[in-house]
Parts: sequence; structure tokens; C-alpha cells
Amino acid sequence: MTAALEHSFVELLEKHQNIIHKVCRLYTNTYDAHNDLFQEITIQLWKAYPKFRGDAKFSTWAYRVGLNTAITLYRKSKRRVKTQDFEGVSFKIKSEDYDNTEEEQLKVLYKAVHQLNDIEKALVFLYLEDKDYREISATLGISEVNARVKMNRIKTKLRNILNP
Amino acid sequence: MDGLDLLKKDWKKDDKDYPKLSYDELYKMILKKSSSIVKWIFIISLLEFVFWFGISFLLKGTSFSGKMEALDLNAILIPISIVSYIVIFYFFYLFYKNYKNISATDNSKTLMENILKTRRTVKYYVIFNLAMIVLGAILGTYYAINHDPELITKIQQASANGNTFAVYAGIMAAIILVLAIAIGALILFYWLIYGLLLRRLNRNYIELKRLEV
Repeated sequence: MTAALEHSFVELLEKHQNIIHKVCRLYTNTYDAHNDLFQEITIQLWKAYPKFRGDAKFSTWAYRVGLNTAITLYRKSKRRVKTQDFEGVSFKIKSEDYDNTEEEQLKVLYKAVHQLNDIEKALVFLYLEDKDYREISATLGISEVNARVKMNRIKTKLRNILNP
Repeated sequence: MDGLDLLKKDWKKDDKDYPKLSYDELYKMILKKSSSIVKWIFIISLLEFVFWFGISFLLKGTSFSGKMEALDLNAILIPISIVSYIVIFYFFYLFYKNYKNISATDNSKTLMENILKTRRTVKYYVIFNLAMIVLGAILGTYYAINHDPELITKIQQASANGNTFAVYAGIMAAIILVLAIAIGALILFYWLIYGLLLRRLNRNYIELKRLEV
């Protein structure tokens, strides 16, 4: 039974691992911290998996557990070193897309996102993942109106970053 | 294209940039132990239960309470002990129930509230213990001064020698020492919990609450 459960879980996880990588990308600055948070989210997902019902989407469910781990449960690893310019594990720009201005702009944008607080990052994450306000409010436990107001403020901030 | 559009475009396209962990690597991950704050809060809370339980247990074994027993106070002491054990187990039951309620699949606010609730139970437990210790020390001292023949003789001797102050100062010092140890431990636990573990949670909880105003 456990083996079957483990198997189905790891298969789903393998398929959806990008969700977790994306959460780690927003909340960590170094390679070690990324892996550390990824590990903890994986454990939290696995612990909660028996309660996961097939009728919900695994991805939706993983957003929630992932963000909760990042915002609340995760204890920063001692190994974590604060470096200002490190943009995260996967912020590298591929050579075929190389576009100096766009690359620079994205750097500025990601840096700005990294400076947001944990809750704002969660909002941005759900927004970038195309979640509607109903889902955002249900994930964070705040009202839809407040999620919208807060999100609009962050959006304006990010919009204006390139054209102040 | 404004900043937000650019960000969204980039966010969507770079799926393939992420590390791709294999089935085996992921499988190994689920076998590892969690290092979440919930686990640490549970451990520290258990230590607190043991610590305060130990303190009240130790105080019961002192010569002081031995004398109280000699003074035939069992009629009072036994009911008090029974009540305090019931209260302790009730606290522990509440703590465990709250702890079990903590689930990473709740929404963020509920999750934070549930974690804070387990801590609140432990806080009340600690306050209860401190109150019992203070009350016990005051009542015990008062009773001993008035009823313990040995202590009464000592006080009488002391006042004959003009040393009353020294005896009372000794009693006070003993009480203060016990309280200092208790409060020192309290500060240590609070620093561990609120300084190290709950700082981030508190900050984010305040931020979420602030959004609701």
C-alpha cells in the first residue's frame, strides 16, 4: 500500500516538479537554499499526500503546500549565504534569446520581485501562474477584495520599474 | 511591453531551465526528515512540559514540602496535587489536539493561526506553573512561619540575638533564587521560540492581518 502510494506520489511530483522549483526560485537566493527549500516542500507534500484527493488538481494542491512551506514552515538553513547579486538557480538567460536590453530589464524586475516581502511574493507567484483572485484569496486566507487591492499595488510597482 | 508583461512572458517560457530531478532523486527526498519549524516547536514545547513538570515535581520533594507533610497538611496538599495534574494533562491534551490540526494544506492564514494556537496553549501552561510556584512559595512560607515549630524556634532565637532580619532575608533569598531559575528558563524558551523559530511566521502573519484592515 505504502509502496503504491509512494510510487504514485513520486510520479506526480516528477511531472509537476517545476511548480516547486518556481516557488524556490522566488523565495531563495542561492543554490543551496533552493535545494533546501525544495527538499522541505517535497517532504511537506509527501506528508500531506494521504489527504490529497484525486478530484483536486495536483498542481493547485502543490501551490498551496509549496507556498505555505516557503512562507511559514521553512526554517532558513544555516548554510544560506546572503549574496546580493546572485539571481537564483535558474535566472540564467539562454544564449539564443540573448537580448541585452531584455536581459537587463528582467534582471531589474527579478531583483525587484526578490525584494518584495514573503506575502507579496506569494501574490506575484500566483498571479504569474495565472491564478484568479478567488484562488489567490483561498490559498492565502485573505478576502478577494484585499488580494486584488494588494496585487494592483504590486503590479503598478512592477509596471513602472522599467519606465519610472 | 511593460515590466509586468515581460516578467510574465519570461516566467512562462523558461520551464526547461529548471533542474530536472529524476524519479530516484525525488524518491530519496521523501525519505528524508523534515526540518520545518513545526517539528522544532513540537520538540521545544515537549521540553517545556517536561521542564515545568520537573520543577513542580522537584519542589514537592524539597525538605520544605516534607515539613509541610509532617505538619499534617496532606488534607490540603493531596487535592491540590490532583487538581494540578488534571490541569497539566488537560493542557497537554489541548496542545496535542492543536498540534494535530496543523496542516500544510490549509490556507496560509489558518495554518499560521493553528501554529500560534499550539504556542498559546504552552504559554498558558507556563503561566499556570509560574503562578502555582509563586502561590506555593508565598503560602508555604506564610504557613511555615506561623506553624513550623523548628522555624518558629529559629525566628525566636534570632530575634533574641537581634538577627530577625537575617532569617527573613534568607527566606526571601531562597524564594528569589527559585523564581530566578524559573524565569531564566522561561526567557530561554521564549528566545528559542519567538526569536529563532517564529520570527518569520509572525512577520508574515502580521502582514496578512494588515491586508485585512
